[in-house]
Amino acid sequence: MTWRSGLIDRRSFMKAAGITFAAALSPQSLRALELTDAVYASGFRAADGSFGIATVSERGEIVDRVALPARAHGMAFCPSSGHVIAFARRPGTFAVAFRADRATEPAMIAAPEGRHFYGHGAFSPDGRFLYASENDFDGNRGMIGRYDAKDGFARIGEFDAQGIGTHDMTVSEDGAMLVVANGGIETHPDFGRTKLNIDRMEPSLVLLDARDGRLIQKHTLPSSLRQLSTRHLAVGDDEQMWFAGQWEGARNASPPLVGHLRRGEDIALVTLPERVTEGLANYVGAIAVNRREGIIGLTSPKGGSAVTLDAKTGAVLREERVADAAGVAPAAEGVAVSSYRGRFNDTVSHVAWDQHIIRLA
Amino acid sequence: MLKILIGAGLAAMLTSAAVYAQEETLLPEMPEDAEIHRAIVKAVDDFIRPGYREFHSTAGALAQEMDALCENPSKAALAETREAFTAAAKAWAKIEIVRTGPAIQENHFERILFYPDRKSTGLKQVQALLAKPDESVVTPNSLSGKSVAIQGFGALEFVLAGTGSEELAKAPATFRCHYGRAVAHNVEQVAAELERLWEDPEGIQQDWKEPGPHNPLFRTQQEALTALLGILVHGAEMVRDQRIETFYKGEDSVAFPKQAIFWRSGNTWTMVEGNLQGLRDLLHVSDMATLLPEDQTSIVASADFVLKSMLRVSAEMNSYIEAAVADEAQRQKLDFLLLNGRDLITRLNDHYGGAIGLTSGFSFSDGD
Repeated sequence: MTWRSGLIDRRSFMKAAGITFAAALSPQSLRALELTDAVYASGFRAADGSFGIATVSERGEIVDRVALPARAHGMAFCPSSGHVIAFARRPGTFAVAFRADRATEPAMIAAPEGRHFYGHGAFSPDGRFLYASENDFDGNRGMIGRYDAKDGFARIGEFDAQGIGTHDMTVSEDGAMLVVANGGIETHPDFGRTKLNIDRMEPSLVLLDARDGRLIQKHTLPSSLRQLSTRHLAVGDDEQMWFAGQWEGARNASPPLVGHLRRGEDIALVTLPERVTEGLANYVGAIAVNRREGIIGLTSPKGGSAVTLDAKTGAVLREERVADAAGVAPAAEGVAVSSYRGRFNDTVSHVAWDQHIIRLA
Repeated sequence: MLKILIGAGLAAMLTSAAVYAQEETLLPEMPEDAEIHRAIVKAVDDFIRPGYREFHSTAGALAQEMDALCENPSKAALAETREAFTAAAKAWAKIEIVRTGPAIQENHFERILFYPDRKSTGLKQVQALLAKPDESVVTPNSLSGKSVAIQGFGALEFVLAGTGSEELAKAPATFRCHYGRAVAHNVEQVAAELERLWEDPEGIQQDWKEPGPHNPLFRTQQEALTALLGILVHGAEMVRDQRIETFYKGEDSVAFPKQAIFWRSGNTWTMVEGNLQGLRDLLHVSDMATLLPEDQTSIVASADFVLKSMLRVSAEMNSYIEAAVADEAQRQKLDFLLLNGRDLITRLNDHYGGAIGLTSGFSFSDGD
């Protein structure tokens, strides 16, 4: 297979995105605040139904906006280059690269033939590579696309994610390992977002060697939890990787929704009080770690709930009712929480915030 | 209607010692549980269950026609069998929109209809089987253990309307006919199973009608209503994305008429009309307009208007798809269907979803 360049030129980008989007691509920021105030980024849907990604202040005020041709999901941030990558929501085939300081124009990265993005990705710590979770939909296997961040995000290879329904992925702090959450749910773009194997799910958590994609370890879940779709990840202290899941099984069950793992160790599941699991509606949409404070943040749009856990003990520290709770990210104190209803920390904006927030500074 | 105010007072209701101050949010008006319950009961008893009963009945008639065709082949018998195929396919199209529950478990859906099939997996397997008959496929009940790609309507359509199908009218007891008969009986068996599961008063119908803490499907009436709306939204997406865009993506795109469902038998629009009629029936039968605030009931009327328009234009389409995509007037009708299909999705997803409390629409709220 020959890899075509991941970054397409501006003319192709305009053609792919459409005239309306092209007009909106040029800086049309609100710039209510200085760009240096931007500490978060998150996808959104505007009141007119258009989609974009916004940079956001600590208080939750919108600093700047970049228009997108369709809905985004997760993001990756590279501190060394300042690049933010917004990945299309599955089964989308674009990702947009931009800089919060607007030093360069936004540019689009296209998924190669036979693949679509699953909505998440991460940079290597040195900023050399961008990794993206992708679907080889005809092969029904998750993949990790590898892009050269120093060469216009050219696609330079891919690794087998060792599972199906790959969703979130991240990179260990030393850059040696890729951590992959395979949700276990088969989808195919021919069937839109339809889940094709709910009664035969195969969720797993996988560690890959970042150099060559070699499998380091793979954890499947016990048969009683095979309908727990392990979807989101957050890096904790001491190489601890936290994960959060979404239960596709019986609604009256009370499964564990959160856990963690380390290299060389088995996975550990955190049992939350039944009342908290009920509040999350058996569904965690996003997870974040505030390492300085040693806390884990969870949000659930289905339950309308935001929960904070003690990273050491798993004890529930706080619960908050947040209607349509969307993203969560580490804040200066505690965690930042957004909602589909436009809430972002202390601010309510006229947008629907999407499912994830990334911290930029 | 209830107006629900989640305010600071709710904090006291939570038992955690460390509960954050509550966000004070005025939620939109939401239907009362009793109103939702009435709509769900109507949807189940007056649309879903009758839909599966009709599908079972027509699939049974199709199996009988196949039996008769194999025993006494004639042009008339073949024509009657093809008509029975059309009737069963249309009955399936109406209830096919219910892509939840038993239909999507244990491969029921794929056994009835293996589609889309961009790589023609089913066609290749059926052609290979007809070229090299395997009697083990056509013995009673054996087909259910074989590849799903050779078990359902797609396979039967090729048997009845594909290359070589005319031989069915001539020679008795051919392998082709016996295979078609096995497929028809297989579809009838799956249809019977789906009907049985939905007719069980303590089964899936109870799960829909009686949400609660012990219910394996829905904890609240609102969850059941969201799922009901999901049937409509996903159904509207299916018509546009899987029934039309599969072969026609718009005036600037290359058309692929042989990717259209049931193009051989001229039943592409049978399926589209069945799907649209199913959506319209569900919308009406469940009285979904009654769940909306008075000033927003026009959302359902608008969606119905779009559905009616799409049904009218579908009836004007040429069943010979290759000719349809080559004809300017027909292409304009296809563009109309794509445009209105998008409009229908917006009206159901955004407008209806927003009106029942899914402020950003149904699809936006499905997390990921």
